[in-house]
Amino acid sequence: MLTVTALSKRYTPDKPSLEAVDLQADVGTITAVIGPSGAGKTTLLRSLNQLLKDDEGQVCLDDVDLRQLSKRDLQKARRNIGMIFQNYNLIDALTVLENVLHGCLGAKSTLAGMFAHYTAEEKQEALKLIDEMGLSDFAYTACKHLSGGQKQRVGIARALMQHPKMMLCDEPIASLDPKSAQMVMTILRRLADDKGLIVVVNLHQVDIATEFADHIVALNHGRKVFDGVPADLQAAQIQAIYA
Amino acid sequence: MIESVSMSQTPTQKAPRPVNRRTRTLRAFVTGLAVISIYGLISVLPKHFDLWTATKVFGANLQLMFFSPNVGNDSHLLLMQALFASIELAFVTTVLGAGIGLVCGLAAAENIAPRWLSLTTKSVMAFVRAIPTILWVLIYSVALGLGPNAAVVGLTFHSVAYLAKVFANTIEEIPAQTIEALRAGGCGLLPVLCQAVLPSLASRLLSWTFIRFEINFANAVVVGAAAGAGGIGYQLFVASNFYFNFHEVGMIVYYILAFVFVLEAISTKLRHKFID
Repeated sequence: MLTVTALSKRYTPDKPSLEAVDLQADVGTITAVIGPSGAGKTTLLRSLNQLLKDDEGQVCLDDVDLRQLSKRDLQKARRNIGMIFQNYNLIDALTVLENVLHGCLGAKSTLAGMFAHYTAEEKQEALKLIDEMGLSDFAYTACKHLSGGQKQRVGIARALMQHPKMMLCDEPIASLDPKSAQMVMTILRRLADDKGLIVVVNLHQVDIATEFADHIVALNHGRKVFDGVPADLQAAQIQAIYA
Repeated sequence: MIESVSMSQTPTQKAPRPVNRRTRTLRAFVTGLAVISIYGLISVLPKHFDLWTATKVFGANLQLMFFSPNVGNDSHLLLMQALFASIELAFVTTVLGAGIGLVCGLAAAENIAPRWLSLTTKSVMAFVRAIPTILWVLIYSVALGLGPNAAVVGLTFHSVAYLAKVFANTIEEIPAQTIEALRAGGCGLLPVLCQAVLPSLASRLLSWTFIRFEINFANAVVVGAAAGAGGIGYQLFVASNFYFNFHEVGMIVYYILAFVFVLEAISTKLRHKFID
């Protein structure tokens, strides 16, 4: 379970990016974070795996406060947290298989990681994940030749290679066409249901959030302005969030 | 009234564009440079200098060099051996320079290394680069004696500084998110460098290394003559300065040109292979 308590972050003293945000996400659920640009969605997401150091509060994953961990322990803890990005952040020159295998680099020794020494089981697992993402025909294709939707699925497969407990998705469908967006969100839904992952996803599309998420959190000017199930989110509230 | 005046203006009657301060400064600078250059040229020429005769002699020498080249007192085998010695020197110094330059480049890249390390490395490399290669070779000649050892160390020294600079600039161009994506998964710095940074930049790093190889080959020819490092440069020096044999000079220049063309062809092919 992910529990965020009173998380605050200020880039400038007078303007908070996050102000005492609380959040709870259960195993096997999707939590959608919505809100206008600059509301603090990305800041919140990046604080959850401490890519961004917040100022105050607690971020507990399975009762371990990530903010209190040493650098080395945080690096270990991050292996439990997969992350996918709006711009995919793959190595375009490498093949789909090589990119997916990068997901298990964190669990390797420095030397094995440097020389990309992967076991036969790891390669098999990567190929299985590629197949699950519907990309088996592209396993040996360089990522620069893939479409946006395909790249995002490679990103998901890479994150899954980590065997994460939690998946953070920073606007994963913002650069995709509606069909690819539906496909990516369906995959995330399946991961939450079948693998019991905690999925936290930043979204701009309220309709997608209500369709796929179990739980919606809305931010505005760094403050939480809504926290509940999609059915509770009324048109007037949506208008107020984006006003 | 104002309208009628502006309407009646035709393109040929345009008012001259006002000359701003920047343009005036630029014009004054260029004029000053031209005056200094002309004065310098006139002052360095000897009094008995005859441009027409000089041009004729120059043309005749070029004709000797390029239309009737031969090996003079040497042999093709000797010149080939000398050429390969220079290639060897360029190759060794480029490989060493690229290896050490890559480490220094990573230490100098602001998106990888801590700021203090990046600044220190950049400053040291800038100092090394500011002194020409030939001077480094001569400086090392004092410690190691005239010959190939000083040439290898001197050329490598400058290659490291040059490649560290261009490698660091190339590494700094890599999107921060690409590195962040792996670090977010708990990946350490060294695996990130080997698995994310280097594969993303391999073609560009190779390109720069090839450019440095070309520079090092030219430098190897120069230090062969000037610092006694041997190779084709030494043969060129002996043929031109001791024997005044322009036929042999021409042959040596053809050898060098042939190698430069081969190098260009290989580099183009490799670049295409890596980029495609």
